[in-house]
Amino acid sequence: MINTKLHTTAGVKDYLPAECALKNEVEAKIKAVFDSYNYKCVITPTFEYIEVYDGMGGVDSKRMYKFLDRDGSILALRPDVTPAIARVAATAYDKTDLPLRFSYVGNAFRYNESYQGKLREFTQAGVELIGVNSIEADAEALIIAINSLLAVGLEDFRVDIANVDFLKGVLEEARLDDELSEAVTDAVVNKNYVEVVKLTEELDITDKLKTLFNDLPLLIGDISVLDTAKTLVNNAKSIDAIEYMRKLYEILEGCGYAKYVSFDLSVTGHFDYYTGIVFRAYARGTGFSVIDGGRYDKLVGNYGEAYPAVGLAVKINDIMSVMKPKEVASADVLVAYTDDGALMALRMADELRKSGKKAELSLLGSDIDKNKAYALKNNIGTMLYINGKECRTMFVRETE
Amino acid sequence: MSYYVCKGDGIMDYITFALAKGRLADKTMALLEQLGITCDEMKEDSRKLIFTNEEKKFKFFLAKATDVPTYVESGAADIGIVGKDTLLQENRNLYEVLDLGFGKCQFAVAGYAEARALLNRNNDLRVATKYPNIAKEYFYHKKHQTIEIVKLNGSVELAPIVGLSDVIVDIVETGSTLKANGLEVLEYICPVSARMVVNRVSMKLEHERIAQLISGLRSLEELK
Repeated sequence: MINTKLHTTAGVKDYLPAECALKNEVEAKIKAVFDSYNYKCVITPTFEYIEVYDGMGGVDSKRMYKFLDRDGSILALRPDVTPAIARVAATAYDKTDLPLRFSYVGNAFRYNESYQGKLREFTQAGVELIGVNSIEADAEALIIAINSLLAVGLEDFRVDIANVDFLKGVLEEARLDDELSEAVTDAVVNKNYVEVVKLTEELDITDKLKTLFNDLPLLIGDISVLDTAKTLVNNAKSIDAIEYMRKLYEILEGCGYAKYVSFDLSVTGHFDYYTGIVFRAYARGTGFSVIDGGRYDKLVGNYGEAYPAVGLAVKINDIMSVMKPKEVASADVLVAYTDDGALMALRMADELRKSGKKAELSLLGSDIDKNKAYALKNNIGTMLYINGKECRTMFVRETE
Repeated sequence: MSYYVCKGDGIMDYITFALAKGRLADKTMALLEQLGITCDEMKEDSRKLIFTNEEKKFKFFLAKATDVPTYVESGAADIGIVGKDTLLQENRNLYEVLDLGFGKCQFAVAGYAEARALLNRNNDLRVATKYPNIAKEYFYHKKHQTIEIVKLNGSVELAPIVGLSDVIVDIVETGSTLKANGLEVLEYICPVSARMVVNRVSMKLEHERIAQLISGLRSLEELK
């Protein structure tokens, strides 16, 4: 038996000061980006009735932390923040308030697989733009994604754009029956291209479509994949989806973001609630995506008025995994004192803080050398020593 | 969690392969050699764990088959070569891009001929296997049959013989071990063979080189 009081349970963790400082900084920088686009920060509950999340095409209820309320209702720790914000938009606002721009930073909870190094409590920072279905709205979400990553200092990353309508059109064109269509979709969602080829090679479909199914793993990359894909399909839905992505790209290119953008035509949403463009950002240094986002025009309608929406979630922990822990900022001044100088020391420390200095009160007694050693170890440059009514300033590292 | 060394250390330019130890690894290297990707270091008898082709910027390491998906999912390796059996059992989030065609065998339900009747009954079936996920998927989702699984770690054929289970779910290559013990294949579940899998991030950030590799391998006679 492990001594459970000494350990954290699987998938949760302590953030010690260095990591905590990094987390706060990453969150602050990303929040500042959200603010600069005038997204208003909201906070929704950490747990809610499970119905808010269940059956919305988001996280499977099997992966939610569930428990009972006193009246017997089932509650869930939020597995994802977007449905709660959709609920807020549909219930607390009306049409005249549109468009709504919300941002959030909060923890979400999911039963992730054991022993795979995946967190079960993790932090997401996101934005939701509700009430508008336009290409500029989609472009804004993508640009926010790019600027969030730039703001935290990442450069080697790619935002991968897809459009769920592309694959829908392809499956309609291939006239697959429901069962086969689901099997192909599953295989595509699971990135099992071998299975896609096996399911489709015997079908009575055009050679071009066969090439398309065959080449899905190659239809990833820069804007040229859109041209290739266009020659392979013969249905309005897929072609519209391609043209939409091309227009989106032109906007991003015009704003100078083209180099961060790539396309993957085989992507469907990671959640079923996505309806149009979907995107994921990948950064060098982690095997997982660092931002997930997309358009979800049907989700808000589950809670009332049906407003179209687009949003994204930055996965703070995955971003942190590619960054070095921060050095925790040390105090500017250590205030040490003899017994009869205590009151003065406390008052001076307060004055220092009011003037913007980070002042730490020494609790080590009046031994100067002991205090100096402490200041040196903790990287505190200046020491104030109060002996009775006399005050001396010492520079701890003046010998260097 | 950060497995890569960040850019600037020169390490990023490598594409790293995780190969399932044994025959699969040898056959893979033979295929890659046809594309001009060789690794002489690997042919030498050494205690090295990672082998490098400096000129073409490839790295290779050998791992236990069941660990290959873990290395690739986390990004510790960009590409993995591993049997479909392992992928089915591990169920990780990876790109499965190529069927390499070798290492062919079948997942099957096997047992005494008399056990065949049990396979159509809806309860009480005891199934011994090294692959509980595959057995579950097959019986629950394909056959809609509730079963009891006994997880074993080797010599699964023993289970029906000593009365531990009614049938087994296992990989069958020639069926000779089964035959020698009076057992037979009762139902085939699915064929398996070696697969090339790719990490999700590598698939994006190194797409040009990986696409080239996929196209190259596809053009080989063995894969047609």
